[in-house]
Formats: sequence, C-alpha cells, structure tokens
Amino acid sequence: MTAKKPVALRIGETHVQAVRDTFPGSVLDATWQAADQVTITVPTDMLPDVVEFLYYGRGGWLPNMVANDERPLHGCFALYYLLSMEESDKGFVVVRTEVDPATMEYPSVTPRVPACVWSEREAFDMFGLRAIGLPDERRLVLPDDWPDDLYPLRKDSMDYRHRPTPTTDVENYQFLYEGHAEETTQVPMGPLHITSDEPGHFRLFVDGEDIIDADYRLFYVHRGMEKVAEDRLSYDAVTFLADRICGICGNAHSVAYAESVEHAQGIEVPLRAQYIRSILLEVERLHSHLMNLGLVCHYCGFDTGFQHFFRVREKAMDLAVLLTGARKTYGLNLIGGVRRDILDDQKLATIKYVSELRNEVEALVDMLVSTANFESRTGGIGRLDPVIARDYSPVGPCVRGSGIGRDVRFDHPFDGYKFLVGMSARTHDGCDVQSRTLVRVEEFMDSLAMIEQWLDGAPQGPIQAEGWQYTPNKFALGYTEAPRGEDMHWAQVGDNQKCYRWRCKAATYSNWPVLRYMFRGNTIADAAIIVGSMDPCYSCTDRVTVVDVNKSTSTVLTKSQLESYCRRRTHSPLAGKGW
Amino acid sequence: MLADNIPPQLQWKPDPITLDAKVAEAKKKLLESIKRSVYVYRVDCGGCNGCEIEIFATITAVFDAERFGIKVVPSPRHADMLLYTGAMTRSMREPAIRAYHAAPDPKIVMSYGACGCTGGIFHDNYCVWGGTDPILPVDVYVPGCPPTPPATIFGFACALGILDQKLHASHHVAPADDQTFVAFPAIPYKVRTSFEREARRMSGYYFGKKIVDEFMLTISKDKEDVFGAIDRLIGNETDARKRAVFMDLRALLMSKVVKG
Amino acid sequence: MFKLFKEIRETGDATVEYPFAPYEFPDGFRGKPEHNEKLCIACEACAIACPANAITMELSEDQSLITWNINYGRCIFCGRCQEVCPMFAIELTKEFELTVLNKADLGESCAYEVARCSCCGKPYAVKKEVDYVRNLLSKMGGPAATDIKKLDRCLDCRRLEDAEAFQLQARHRGEA
Repeated sequence: MTAKKPVALRIGETHVQAVRDTFPGSVLDATWQAADQVTITVPTDMLPDVVEFLYYGRGGWLPNMVANDERPLHGCFALYYLLSMEESDKGFVVVRTEVDPATMEYPSVTPRVPACVWSEREAFDMFGLRAIGLPDERRLVLPDDWPDDLYPLRKDSMDYRHRPTPTTDVENYQFLYEGHAEETTQVPMGPLHITSDEPGHFRLFVDGEDIIDADYRLFYVHRGMEKVAEDRLSYDAVTFLADRICGICGNAHSVAYAESVEHAQGIEVPLRAQYIRSILLEVERLHSHLMNLGLVCHYCGFDTGFQHFFRVREKAMDLAVLLTGARKTYGLNLIGGVRRDILDDQKLATIKYVSELRNEVEALVDMLVSTANFESRTGGIGRLDPVIARDYSPVGPCVRGSGIGRDVRFDHPFDGYKFLVGMSARTHDGCDVQSRTLVRVEEFMDSLAMIEQWLDGAPQGPIQAEGWQYTPNKFALGYTEAPRGEDMHWAQVGDNQKCYRWRCKAATYSNWPVLRYMFRGNTIADAAIIVGSMDPCYSCTDRVTVVDVNKSTSTVLTKSQLESYCRRRTHSPLAGKGW
Repeated sequence: MLADNIPPQLQWKPDPITLDAKVAEAKKKLLESIKRSVYVYRVDCGGCNGCEIEIFATITAVFDAERFGIKVVPSPRHADMLLYTGAMTRSMREPAIRAYHAAPDPKIVMSYGACGCTGGIFHDNYCVWGGTDPILPVDVYVPGCPPTPPATIFGFACALGILDQKLHASHHVAPADDQTFVAFPAIPYKVRTSFEREARRMSGYYFGKKIVDEFMLTISKDKEDVFGAIDRLIGNETDARKRAVFMDLRALLMSKVVKG
Repeated sequence: MFKLFKEIRETGDATVEYPFAPYEFPDGFRGKPEHNEKLCIACEACAIACPANAITMELSEDQSLITWNINYGRCIFCGRCQEVCPMFAIELTKEFELTVLNKADLGESCAYEVARCSCCGKPYAVKKEVDYVRNLLSKMGGPAATDIKKLDRCLDCRRLEDAEAFQLQARHRGEA
C-alpha cells in the first residue's frame, strides 16, 4: 500500500476529506491502491452513514461490495463497499470496514442504499456474515440443496473440491410478493427456457394480464469460480477462468481481472497491448449488440429480421476468429499484456470487416425501425424510472436508456479509451425498451469507429510487460465496460502466487434487482421483451412466456414443474402472439 | 490426474441414471433407422452461455442446421435429442433430471462443450458435478469451448450416425532411444532463446513464433553477412508491424554482437 | 416493408456449404491441440500451465514411465500449452471435428521413460529431457559443458556431491 503524499491533491482526496469533515473520526485509514483508487477504513458502526453519504451526497454509484475473510492476515473479516464516484473528482472510493469474527455481524447498508442488497445477501451465503437490518435475508447464490452452516469462501471452511450431500431434492426457494392486490396469479418462468441461455426462475405475480410484481431465483449457474481461483489456479491463469464467467462478455471479465491485478501490483501494461485489449473489447460489443438487436426483432415478432441480424453477426464472429483464433472466450489476456498481436494483414482485414458491418447494420437497423411492430412493441414498455435507477446502480444500456450517462469507458477511461477522440456515452431518455435498443444501435456504430481509430493509432512496441515485482496481499479494482454494462473485479493476491480473494461482478448482477420495477405495470406479453431489453445473457426468455394458470394465492405452486414445462410449451412460443 | 485425486470422503457422488436394456435396444434401433427430422431440446446446466449462443449461431441463417431437419424445440416432450451444456451445477441437477424424464424414450443425450463433456475448467469445483455423465447416460460428446457451429453440425451428424467420428483414443509409449534434436543448431542456444523470448514479448506466442522463425532462418542461412541478410529481410517485408518486430530483433542481435 | 424485401433479395443465399464442403477457419484458429510426441521432452510445462487440467502427467506405479495425457473433452482451446512449450512440440491446429460417441476416445497419451540416478538408482527425470539437455550442453561447450557429467544424477545426489566438494575445498583452504 502506498503512503499518503501531502502535496498535490490525489484523485479521491476531496471525497476522503468530505467524509472526514462530515463524520469526524470516521476515517481510520486512507490508502491509495492505484492513481484513481482510494480505500478508507471506517468503524463498523459508521459504515451505513459513510456509504450513504458518498452514494447520495457525493455522486457515488455502487457496483458491489466485497466481503473478505482476512482472519489469517489480521484476525477479522473485512467488507469493501466499492463506490464509483461519477460527479466530481471521478475515481473510485472503497469504504472498508472490519467485522468482528466473534459476532459476525455488521449494520446493513441496504435500508439506506438499496444497491447493496445482493452483495449483502451474498456475503451471508459465502461467509456467514450477517447484515443486521437487511430486509431480505433469503439465500442468493448457493443452491437450495447446500447445507446451512457451510460457508464456501471462509478460509477454514472447506476444500474447494468438497461436494456435500444434497440436503434436499426439491427447490425450496421462497418467492416474495410485494404487491397489495390479494387475488393474483403466479406465472412461473423457468428455470429451463427453450432455445435460451442461462437458467433462471421467474415468478410473475399477475392480475389478469397485468404484472403486479415479480421475483426471481437466479444463480442456477453458480459454479464456485471464486473459490477455485483461490485454490487451484495460479493468479496468472485466472484470466482464462474469467473468460468463462460469461460466454459473450468473457473478454471484458478477463481484462477487468487482469487490470485489477495490474493495478494492485503496479504493472505498467505496454501501450500497444492496451490498444489491442480495447479493440477486442469493442469486437465483443459488436457481436453482443448484434445478438441483442436480433433478439429485439424476434420479440417484436419479426423473425426475418432476427435471422438477418444473426447473419450479419457472423461477420463479427469471423472478425473475432481472425483477431483471436476463437469465436468466443478469446483467452488473449495475460497479466501484463495480451497474447496475440495484430499484424498488417489482420489490420486490413479488420478494416474491411468494419466497413462491411457498418453498411449492413445500417440497412438492417433502417429495416427494423421502419417496421410497424417495433414502435408499438417497444415504446413505453418496461419503464425504468431514473429514480429507481439511482437507488440500485444499474449499468450499461439499461441505465443509459433512462437518460443517465454512466459508462465506465468515459467516466473512468482506461486502456485505449484514454486516447479516443470525439466520443461520449450514448443516452436516450425514453426509459423504455425502445430507448435501450437505440442506445445499443448507436453504441454499435461507435464501436466500429473506435476500432478504426485504434487500428490507426496503435503504437509500435511490445505487447507484454516483463519483470515486475510480485508483492503479496495487495489489492485493487479492475473495471471494463462490457456490452451489458460495467464489469468490476476486485482482486487481492496472496503469498502463494494465487488469488487470496477475487470478486467479480458481472454487468447483469447490477441490473437484475431493477428488473422487478421494470416489470411492474406491464402485461405478461411484455415480460419477455423487458427481460430481453436488459440483455441479461439470457435471451429467449420470451418463448417461455407462458404458463400455469393457477388461480390461487398460495406462495408455492403445487403443480409439478414438469407438467408446467409441458403445458407451457404447447402454447405459441412467440411473445405478443399466442396468448 | 487432479480429478482422480480427490479424497472420496470429500465428495458425495450422485448416482447416474442408467438405461434399462429394453430402452438401450430401442435406442440403437432408433439410431440405425432414423429417417426423419430430429428435434433437439437444450438444457443449460450451468454453462457460461458461450455454448448456448453457438447453438443459436448453428440454427440461424449462416449455418442453418434446420436444413437437415435438426430443429431446436421448446419442450423436452417433443425431443428426440437432449443437448446438455454446462458443468452441471448443484442447482441444475434436479431440473436436468426432470427434463431427461420428460423426454420420450428412446432419446439421444448429447454432452455439449468442454463443461458438458467433463466439467471443463470447472471440473473439480464444489458447486458442480463435473459434466453431464455423472448424472445421466450420455451418447455423444461434443468437445470445444465452445464448439463452433461447424463442430456442432458435425456433432449432430455423428450423433445420428451420418458421419463417423474422426478422433480415436491413442496411447503410445515413446521409443526408448528417441532423441529430440536442438532447433537451429547454427545459432547459439542462449541467443536463440533470447530471440524467441523477445519475439513473444513483441508479437505474442503465435505471430511472434512465425516472425522469429523467419528471422532465424535468415541468419542461419547467410553466415557471411548476417546483418546484410537481415536488412534485406527487413527491406523486402511489406507488413509494417512485422518490419518493426524484425528491427527490434535486429537491435537485440546488434547488442549481443557488440557485447560479445 | 419494401426495405425488408430489398434486403432479402440482396442477401441471396448466406448459408455455408459445410458439411458438404470442408469448412476452413483462418490461420491462427485455435482448434485441436496436436502433440508432437517426437519433439516432446515431457518437461511438464504444458501440464502446469493448462488452466483446465486437460493436460496432465502421471507417473506409473513402478516409476519407470511418465505419461503425458490430454483430454480433449476438458480442453478449453486457450493455447497456453503452445505458448509455454520450450520445444514447440504442441500446436493448436484448425481441426475442429472432435465429436466422439465413446468418452475414452477423447483421450490421448504418450509415455516416456524415466531416467534413474546413476548414483542412488532413484528415478529423477524424464530420460529424453536429460538426453536433450546433454545434447544442448555439449553443443554450447565452454563452462556449461563441464556440468554434463552431473546430468545423470538426481538432485539429492548432486547436492550431496556439491556439499562434499565444498567441504573438501574448505578443508584445503583451512590447511593453506
């Protein structure tokens, strides 16, 4: 950790000073991990005050909170509330507090800053740390059949390969209903969806056609990555694991992880490598946004457009193969640089692909917006109120479609984004599905321009850094703007060439909590397109829009899931059509 | 090796569902004489999504698996083939089994992607069962991370017995007197490795290797006038980036010559 | 609507020929890793680097053979093995048709002889690796070549030997 320099004002200094002034005696310690990252340690009982002050008082947004078992280091658990300061003095302020292992309790911040809710639930699952006052104490991450008293990420709890006997053979998650109407119908969606992606279980509470509330059980794909990164893999192999957090924005994760370690260790990544990383990040955005645009077509009942977007998307995939050797999960990041260069051949081919993509997508978008369904199916649907957005810190096109210009690429420029000319975050203020879609369209075009700028501007020189000093127990943040929003990684390396703690936050993690609000007031037919507009790695939820029509208010459905799958699929798989 | 080393008391092992003889026979018959469209139902059991999206790519316009009648259907009730992706997380065990039972017999079970085949990079994590086959009887394995759309089409073709698999187990014992020669014997070992290292630093393992091989071939060919040969190599190179790396290697050689 | 029809007409047939014609990925595609058994010296660099543990090394029970294994079903095609291999003995090819019906077909292995220490008889390294280093050192000549004779001894014996030599030297110095 770096010592404080009294002279020039460092990034984040004004925030630290403001905390000191407002809550005298609250800042026990302030250290900088990187130029734009400061961690302040506060007493446990002042935690909610300080986080709330930074969040609402100083223009902070909360990507997530990291819990860490630091008992082997100094005898306590620690919590790190990561705040991205986006109004003045842009940078990251991390509020750290220690939790006494004797009580394992800390005051919940969620009642003051709702954005903490998932992180605090997760801290209980993984560490057994109880947030006093947390309104929702249900299990979040761990499967239903996991034993109650086994906390995977505690350092002394278990081997990473430990697979305890399942405690139950049925899903017993409680879905919460926050509405007031008494007569509601529950519409289960999932956990298996059809052609779609990750499993997730939605429960819609409806009155007739109108959605009153919704709740969901996710984390069906919890694989225990953070634990395996601490145990099996050495810290430089984790980039390949990070690639596999998500099959579509894997590279964004891998860059975020690599940069968290690089920031912590003070590794200077060569400029050329920074350019190449950014190019690959934008290539990823190309194919991801094309997929989402295709799916929007599909939701609007415009399957021809869907096929065409996917046809053009293959060009973006070819571009990915050309630059990385793989269509997905590029695996090109190492700590300190990238593994593959871009030679002139690749550069010229890329420029060609970029111009083809620009022409084709312009034509397709033209086609999409001139389709009558598009306007009627997306306008005013799935409203994300900017006030709700402010409370929950959603990210990506989701929040930018509500008029809030949050974009890590421009708020905290990193890598190639530092050198961009004439670009800024795209926003639309319709707050609806249409706005989010239009944001994606514009970002797609921006990405093409960015790639061109970088290909032209990439300096010569090496693509890998060498000869750095490895210092154990240093930690820092790494961040990227994935196609769906910011990915935020927090990594601390240990004294054994492994991660001591690695916490990755995917974009969608920040977006799920607001989905409930986006659902409210819409009809069931819109459920799919709303989920889709969030682009939650999870697209064809729509085909599942249907249903067990169970007119009862009991909280748990009695019909077997199996039967419901079956009945569900006898309906038309197309949203907005069948029923 | 690692996977086999897990102390058994640490891991509860699920009982895989087994086929009874009648079903197995019916399945064989189905495979031999399947003369109609094949309906596929996908079950994501905790993958990263890469596989799912590649399947998407496979069924859309460019790869269009539907021209062979391979159609992704919305219910296991309609399926002839179940396609499992993902490392089989704990939460997905029950849904996966329910989907399996929902599909009518005989059915083909495909394990898709590295995670589906063996658990992939997650093979020994606490929250997964390590692929499809610890839970269900699997008929066909499609490796890849994720499998590309052509690999997926190949996988379908293999599963249906239209194409034959290309990969076969191979287990050799290297001949006892087998010797490995030293590459580029004309160039001193330490010089060679420092070139290789520098090229990797400049251009990565893939292009760097190509570039350094070209460079070393040039200097081992012309021993009289090494720098002349290098300059000719650089002069003839049209690729600006390659030229830059060649020049960097030349500077490295120069520093060695001056020092040595 | 007109735009849609125009787009459809202009696109024509977008579908690839595969599987009726071979599908060609561009150079540098990361497909099936091809192990060159002849070049490999079984140094284990790839097994250590492999993030997914697809490549493993296993010593036989009597410690006479060490087996290099790859499981294509676990491989994530990252190419780390190719990157770290000092012999360039493994390379990712464009081969992608890896589907098998029998899981055992996903495995490939090659066993290498393990050398025994000339002093204590304990197995200590892969024979091919030792031979390669001998070959290399003799080519390098100079001071490096003087180490050749130490090559056929295990680490323990070499340490012991060094310690004895050091002791002897110290005694000489003491006498002088």
